[in-house]
Amino acid sequence: MMYWEDFEPGQRFEMGEHTFTEEEIIAFARQFDPQPFHVDPRAAKESFFGGLIASGWHTCAIMMRISVEAMQRERAAGAGSPGIDSCRWLKPVRPGDTLTLKREILEAWPSRTKPIGFVRSRSEMVNQKGETVLAIVGITMLRRRPDTAA
Amino acid sequence: MSDLVHFEDVEVGQTHRFGRYEVTAKEIIEYARQFDPQPFHVDEEAGRQSHFGGLIASGWHTGAMLMRMVCESAIPGHATDGAVGFDDLKWLKPVRPGDVLSVENVVVEKIESRSRRDIGVVKIAGRVLSQTGEAVMSLTSLVLYRRRPGV
Repeated sequence: MMYWEDFEPGQRFEMGEHTFTEEEIIAFARQFDPQPFHVDPRAAKESFFGGLIASGWHTCAIMMRISVEAMQRERAAGAGSPGIDSCRWLKPVRPGDTLTLKREILEAWPSRTKPIGFVRSRSEMVNQKGETVLAIVGITMLRRRPDTAA
Repeated sequence: MSDLVHFEDVEVGQTHRFGRYEVTAKEIIEYARQFDPQPFHVDEEAGRQSHFGGLIASGWHTGAMLMRMVCESAIPGHATDGAVGFDDLKWLKPVRPGDVLSVENVVVEKIESRSRRDIGVVKIAGRVLSQTGEAVMSLTSLVLYRRRPGV
């Protein structure tokens, strides 16, 4: 089990990867972000992007799935998140792209009132060419190791 | 002359309320099974036993619901080219089955692009509201608007 105490600034993790298919890009966008360049390959070709690209919210959702699976694998005591400092969609994500989630711990501090701690981290989704397509700085809450929590 | 709303037409302080999104347990579970399979998002009983006291939507699902409402009601008629990203996203309250969400957007800043004359960034403070008017999520979006040709 990994608790808040196990995370320290400077730690880096490679958490997993995902390859996007055209089918799933269109399915997500039809439900949540039906702009032409997300749902219609022909319209996307004519657009500024020159081809079908994934919704930024889809890339975030895949980041979340890789993160949750890694946390469940490591049995990390995650307790949700109060929010995100910044999120940038830096490059388009296209069908066939394989993205790897990399995370660096920036800061860790305990709650003064609850048996949890906060971790601020920078997460990047990096494509097969080594380009960062998504960069997020956000906060995660983790439970404290039972014998150390004040 | 296009009648779309371009960068030049947007004014700081403009407020826009729109959208109606009914949240269902079925959709919460479907989304979370695919993207955020934590127990309190995928299992009603586990939700009841968690400190949330019931099934709640993934925060990223609430973001996706916001995007759906934006696509239906905020983008049509506007010369937008997607978004750079967002800042200061806060998940303020749990979103539960039966909630009916809507959006309030306020234009807070306009930033001219240094590298591209054809585009500008509009900062929009967005709040996702529940049926009681409480904000469940807030964020500041950085939306790309095209500039009027020749301006």
